[in-house]
Amino acid sequence: MLKPTTRRLAATAACAALVGLTAACGGSSSAKAGGTVTLTYMTWQDSEKAAYQASLNEFEKAHPNIKVNLELVAWAQYWTKLQTGAASRNMPDVFWDHLAYLPQLAKEGIITDLSSKIKAANLDTSIYSPKLLAQWQSGSVTYGLPKDWDTIATIYNKSMLAKAGLTADQMNHLTWDPSTGGTFVAALQKLTVDVNGKHPNQAGFDSKHVKTYGIALEAPNGQQDWWDFGLENGCQLQDKAYGKWTVNTPACVQAIQFEQDLRDKWHVAAPGSMTNTPNAADLPTILSKGDAATTFDGDWDLTAFQSAMPAGSWGVSALPSGPAGTGTVFNGLSDAIYAHTKHPAEAWELEQWLASAASEKLVADSGTVWPGIPTLNSGFATAWKAKGVDVTAFQTGSEGNTMGYPLTTSNTTFNNVVLQDFNQVWLGQMTPQAAADDVNTKSNAAITSGN
Amino acid sequence: MTTNSPGLATAGPSLSKQDAPAPAVAAPGRRRRRIRTTVEAYLLIAPSLAGFLLFLVLPIIGVFVLSLFSWDLVSTPEFVGLANYRRLAGDGAAWTAVGNTVYYVALNIPAQTVLALALALALNRKMRGVKVFRVLFVLPWMAMPVALGIIWTWAFDPRHGAVNHLLSLVGIVGPNWLTSTTWAMPVIASVNVWQYTGYTMLFLLAGLQAIPEQIYEAAAVDGVNAVQRFFKITLPLLRPSMFFVLITNVIGSFQLFDTVFVMTQGGPGTSTTTLNYYIYQQAFQLFHAGYAATLAIVLFVMILLVTAGQFLYFRKRTVYDFS
Repeated sequence: MLKPTTRRLAATAACAALVGLTAACGGSSSAKAGGTVTLTYMTWQDSEKAAYQASLNEFEKAHPNIKVNLELVAWAQYWTKLQTGAASRNMPDVFWDHLAYLPQLAKEGIITDLSSKIKAANLDTSIYSPKLLAQWQSGSVTYGLPKDWDTIATIYNKSMLAKAGLTADQMNHLTWDPSTGGTFVAALQKLTVDVNGKHPNQAGFDSKHVKTYGIALEAPNGQQDWWDFGLENGCQLQDKAYGKWTVNTPACVQAIQFEQDLRDKWHVAAPGSMTNTPNAADLPTILSKGDAATTFDGDWDLTAFQSAMPAGSWGVSALPSGPAGTGTVFNGLSDAIYAHTKHPAEAWELEQWLASAASEKLVADSGTVWPGIPTLNSGFATAWKAKGVDVTAFQTGSEGNTMGYPLTTSNTTFNNVVLQDFNQVWLGQMTPQAAADDVNTKSNAAITSGN
Repeated sequence: MTTNSPGLATAGPSLSKQDAPAPAVAAPGRRRRRIRTTVEAYLLIAPSLAGFLLFLVLPIIGVFVLSLFSWDLVSTPEFVGLANYRRLAGDGAAWTAVGNTVYYVALNIPAQTVLALALALALNRKMRGVKVFRVLFVLPWMAMPVALGIIWTWAFDPRHGAVNHLLSLVGIVGPNWLTSTTWAMPVIASVNVWQYTGYTMLFLLAGLQAIPEQIYEAAAVDGVNAVQRFFKITLPLLRPSMFFVLITNVIGSFQLFDTVFVMTQGGPGTSTTTLNYYIYQQAFQLFHAGYAATLAIVLFVMILLVTAGQFLYFRKRTVYDFS
């Protein structure tokens, strides 16, 4: 900030020079040298890098004339980078796509409709999970082939569970309800301990000095917390795909209230000051520090738990079921091809490889991520079994009551308002109803205004 | 810049050669010479002028034009006239951001200036090791704001951070600094005060050293005490430095972005969303480039007014010549 004008000018000039430079040498970040085409493949998950690099190595072996640069951009910057990249026509040729952003990318015409290519190549798309494939299709258009899927499950610290007298089987059958809390809250009460060794349901419990919370819930948009509680309570975020937001309906507000109660009424969940984005430590870190005994997280973080916690010290169980039964967010990614790539043929080769059974098997068998081809699921589960972790709860979840990511063109507004308002809800500074009303009003206004 | 230096006109050999045959008619020759002088001067400043126009004036005009459009950075911009300005009038979040920015400036500038002045006074003496201290205090300014932001975020962590640990040693339970709507902004301000006080101190120190010793000696003869000496001599004669420091620091404070981006991302709620951060959100998170341009103009006008006010205040009161 406080820099003299000359420094600022110099910085501006340097910045402009840099921008000029990268634009000049980057182009669409792919270049043809001696008959070899170089593609850029952009992803956001650090823990999946190794597996995808291994897959790309195979691809390069089979296609000696194509080189692929794997570019990793953190989720927090990923979409800004894509959008500014699209504006300056400096885009990766192939990149990870997320349902939250699919409608916007499609609207802007940045991504390629693959349907004619799929037809021409005579690809058998029946190998993919139909639920996943359908999300990437709209009418006759297909924007991607399912590369993986994810659900949310409970991750717990084994020794803390044992100390509280809870078994893995009990963890798989917890239920909650908004008024009494159910067996879920009862279990969390056993797991929550203050500095004097007292539990929240005991006299003299010191809620200001909690040593370990029963659970830590952290999600910038709700995927790993209130969306799941919502689904288990009969809440629908939208009236239909691409429809109006219905976040402020009673079933949703009640679910949000339940999560606020876990923090403020029952004192079994880590407060917002520990879990709010952006200052919160990530969930694997919170568990490894012993700040919480359990958490809800997606399978994409399994590798992170494995490296943060001693081997064999943690386990996976199903999410608790609520008044409306079980429920988890079920989501998946695909690879998108940049609409203006200079090498559409090579990019399509890469897309086909990444969505092929061979590549998905390679990635799944390494225990990196569940595959978009259901017949390969066992490879992922086996890989984790070998590491001593039973991950079937994720698969059970995917086969039960699920919700997909909301499909909407107002996703960026929704994310923004949710982050702002729910940070305050989890700090006890805003009521769930007020937050839900605000999110609903602003997100619906963004649909009508077209942004 | 030496654009109006008379030396330029006669500097090159080509000039003197051309000057020679035109002595008869004085007036046109002078005018021609003046034109030539002007042309040469512009040629000499051309490189920096080009940079100024290309990288400063043009983008500023661009922002004004953009504020009349609706644009998501990718699709074709759509002309919307003054719609972005009408939207601004009804956008409570924008005015919250303006309020937060003013609050930050009000926290940051007085604390930083007073601390810097105290430090400058303390270090304005001949003492062993004084240079080491001067360097130490300037070090934070030389560090990367983003890296510092991350380190301070750790320090202010409510459970594992150093700040609350130190407080607990004296029996105080520290608040949840960065997740509290009350404390987040003061924390951000204090991090910036910490970072830029040394830099401000440098300028004030230079200003102090430019005040002639004789004035203090004369005052001592007249029996002036330390307090009077500070308020009647030091402070008034420090105005040129103070002027520079306040102008640049106030402008910089209004543009606060990096610390907020790293430490709070505008939260909790909107408690640390400064106008500059709000502009970033609108442009690069929500992709409302046209509206962001409108907000940038608001920031520009705010800074312009405040800076003009400072100029008016200082112009009447500043003495540059001590002799």
